[in-house]
Amino acid sequence: MSRMILVRIGSLMVVLLVLTLAVFMIKAVLPADPVRAAVGAQASEEIVQAKRHELGYDKPLPNQYVRFLGNVMHGDFGDSLRTRRPVLDDINRYAPATIELALCAALLAGFLGILLGLWSAHGGRGSGSARVTMLAFASAPTFFLGILLLLLFYGRLHWLPASGRLSNKHVDSGPTGFLIIDSLIHRNPGELVDALQHLAIPAVCLALGPAVAIGRVLRSSLLDVMRQDYVRTARAKGLSEWMVVLRHALRNASGPALSMAGLQVGLLLAGVVVVELVFAWPGLGLYTQQSIQQADFPAIIGITLVLGIAYVAINAIVDVMQLVADPRLRVVGRAVA
Amino acid sequence: MEIEPATIDSGGNGSGNVVASVRDLEVEFKTGKGIVRALRGVSLDIHAGEVVALVGESGSGKSVFGMSLLGLLQTSARPTIRGQVHVAGIDMLHGAGGVRRRVRQELLGAVFQDPLTSLNPTMRVGRQLLERGIDRERALRQLGEAGVPDPERRFRQYPHELSGGLRQRVMIAMALGGRGDIDQSRRRKKRHAPVVDLAGAEAAELPVTVAHDASDAPRLIVADEPTTALDVSVQAQVVLLFDRLRREHGCAVLLVTHDLGVAASIADRVVVLYGGRVCEVGPAASVLRDPAHPYTKALLAARLSVDGTTVRTDPMPGDPPNPLALPPGCAFAPRCSSATVECEVEPPELTPRAREHAGEVACLHPCSVGEADASTSRVAVTMTRVASPRPAGAGDALELVDVSKTYEVNGGGLGKAKLVAVDSVTLTVPARGSVALVGESGCGKTTTLRIATGLLQPDRGSVRWAPDGGRPQLIFQDCGSSLTPWMSIGMQVEERLRMLGVPKGQRQAKALDYLGRVGLDRRASESKPRELSGGQRQRAVIARALASDPKLLVCDEPVSALDASLAVRVLTLLESLRDDLGVALLVVTHDLAAARRIADEVAVMYLGAIVEQAPADVLFEHPSHPYTQGLIAASPTTEPGRLSPTLAGEAPSAIGERHGCAFAPRCPVATEVCVEETPEFKVRGAGLPVACHHA
Repeated sequence: MSRMILVRIGSLMVVLLVLTLAVFMIKAVLPADPVRAAVGAQASEEIVQAKRHELGYDKPLPNQYVRFLGNVMHGDFGDSLRTRRPVLDDINRYAPATIELALCAALLAGFLGILLGLWSAHGGRGSGSARVTMLAFASAPTFFLGILLLLLFYGRLHWLPASGRLSNKHVDSGPTGFLIIDSLIHRNPGELVDALQHLAIPAVCLALGPAVAIGRVLRSSLLDVMRQDYVRTARAKGLSEWMVVLRHALRNASGPALSMAGLQVGLLLAGVVVVELVFAWPGLGLYTQQSIQQADFPAIIGITLVLGIAYVAINAIVDVMQLVADPRLRVVGRAVA
Repeated sequence: MEIEPATIDSGGNGSGNVVASVRDLEVEFKTGKGIVRALRGVSLDIHAGEVVALVGESGSGKSVFGMSLLGLLQTSARPTIRGQVHVAGIDMLHGAGGVRRRVRQELLGAVFQDPLTSLNPTMRVGRQLLERGIDRERALRQLGEAGVPDPERRFRQYPHELSGGLRQRVMIAMALGGRGDIDQSRRRKKRHAPVVDLAGAEAAELPVTVAHDASDAPRLIVADEPTTALDVSVQAQVVLLFDRLRREHGCAVLLVTHDLGVAASIADRVVVLYGGRVCEVGPAASVLRDPAHPYTKALLAARLSVDGTTVRTDPMPGDPPNPLALPPGCAFAPRCSSATVECEVEPPELTPRAREHAGEVACLHPCSVGEADASTSRVAVTMTRVASPRPAGAGDALELVDVSKTYEVNGGGLGKAKLVAVDSVTLTVPARGSVALVGESGCGKTTTLRIATGLLQPDRGSVRWAPDGGRPQLIFQDCGSSLTPWMSIGMQVEERLRMLGVPKGQRQAKALDYLGRVGLDRRASESKPRELSGGQRQRAVIARALASDPKLLVCDEPVSALDASLAVRVLTLLESLRDDLGVALLVVTHDLAAARRIADEVAVMYLGAIVEQAPADVLFEHPSHPYTQGLIAASPTTEPGRLSPTLAGEAPSAIGERHGCAFAPRCPVATEVCVEETPEFKVRGAGLPVACHHA
């Protein structure tokens, strides 16, 4: 199994290499001149040439790519045109908020998806109408859903805050930037509750679509698995229906649901941009949106790479989870006899 | 424990040790097409230590009966159930779910047909055993008892790492997990099971003669076709195992099977089911030796046997009853030669048989004892054999010369290992000839078949087909799924003709002609595959293969999934096609009886190599290779109480280096030379080629 994981990691590296090449090509064909951007519009031609030479933009493209790759490996994405800080610093600053939101949303999506899958596969009371309702919510665009939830929980019920990560009375002073972890480190329950309240609506907005997708796939594969002979064996053994479902059916049905979860969590990364905008969430999405407005290409390229790495990593994790879930996948060659 | 004749009488004798009691059980399933009446008033008592064989063809309701004893009918669909099912006095139909579950856990064991799909593929064997609520020590002992070598190692493995035979043994070990006692089970959970007297029998090969505490094994094991998916040698081993478990633990066994041979070997009592009703029940000896119901008689007659006898005419014309539209009278009447008008009025009740025979029969015109009629008497058949040996040459339908195929597989640890699937096989199928390739699963017969049809390139050796016949046509084991579900049968045959360049105007007529040859009419031609019965689908597949006008039909296990009556008919059809159209046959099968019925010549394969080849009659009457001898001996017969002697062990893995005779580790006559030297496949003492030093 460890060999197969190594193979997976190897292929991950190849994907990343292709990604950097794609990003580099985009950068190369963009009309914006990074040298001009660096020295300013008023600079003389000599200064531009000198800077061009200094940054290596007078070399042929392959050389430039190698240099670019080297820089990326060292985490050097260049300086942001807008904030004038290294892009990596900016990303480091905004990433925790996004990771926290995305991770919570992904966990919520997985949890809701499993719940929905189990419930609807078992045909429990009301599962049909619940499926329709969930589907309706999931089909709504994320921003619309966000506004709807805001109107209800903030505007009418006053249960939850409308924007940001924390109320004014709490300040994030923590070492990690992850508010949930920081508040636990500070042993400050008030801060934790506040952070969770701010997290709730954006996370639900992000999670609903993936949850319904995961739930639907899980439902159909569970229905298939529940017809299998080994489920009959488990029942014949005298296991309770819950044991049969949780121990025998769920794991065998998890393969397609895991694949779907990987894809959905990848899409969720794109959804983050919109949700952060709606809820003024100070994360990478907001940063991206601002960078696009200012045509801040170093920042955009940096974020593209980081999100790409995250996407590839998530799918690699899903691959490994599938190997863990189904021991038969660990056999490489299959004997034909 | 010895079974008293009194306790194995037909049901309802009021004996005190009834384990399971079924009364007037009726089960109906609602389907999209109508109501399927799976069981129509079945009553049966099963006593402690008794092996009851429930025999019937597919669709007879026998599996539904097994599921009802397990109290699992409600989980599959939502059937309408009438009647009563009690296990140890507990209502398995209407009892509380939790109580029925406890009965399954403590009193019942279940073994199903396909051990690969019946074990959870993502859970280690050990954990699946422990789920019976037993401790590790007992689980290991049960594995040992079920004949699993090296239980400690198997305990940690996944089902896909085990061979088919081992998997079924694991299923049986799991079935043994009950406590046979429902009241104390809760308290016992943390304690060792009270089987200390058995603990010494780790090897489990010791014949345990001590009187048994009934509470260390399930009271009843429901075994649904437990040997159908297994090779003949493993089948014999599993049957022996059931017999031993019954004797040592006194647990009753309900053996659900379509094979009268398996039923004959260990059953005390046989129940024959047809169209959801019991048509005959009685002690195995009397039902099998002197069947009273015409259906039982026909079933016995239709059974393919390795002894070479067969019936002259089709003992059971027509198809099994359609469960959606059962006739009002006796369900067997439409196929019965002695049926009269009264038979079609109402289903006959079970009535006791003539005085000298125990048992009951549901027939208005039961066969009297010893009666024989033309349709069911068995005769030794000398089939039209092509003279052998024939001059080899251009006329052959298939010629394989020295073909070999090796696969690279993951060798457990790092690196690759070699799997020799086919090792220097030379085989000739003469024009209009019929050759059977027999052997256990994993012996390379399917690889050989794939090479023969051109689906697979051999690493070495040559494949030659008849020069004017084109590609040999392949008929698969599961014929139903090799038909395209959304195309009518006629269209599928016409498609073949189109590929052969038959002009459009002639295709339909030609297709009907081919379908007519296999006995399918215009209506069948317009049907979709799902609208046909299993037997019709099989014939449709054959017709489609014939459309390419092949010189060779290659059949992969053509009858192993079919009921006895259908199997005979398919083999007869293949035979007549050979005679009428001059198609040669290559039949690959693990079913020796089918091979004897269809083939002029039989080649026996073991671990990728042919070990013996001879004309069918010679091979079955005077087998030279110890492996052939073992296979033939292990085949079940319908002789009541005859336990087939088994070949020890299973075929070893084809992975790795070969040294000496591959069969030596299982061979009763192996000597030193067998281990050191690989025997050549050459003509020996009996004048026919065999790969054995001692032949």
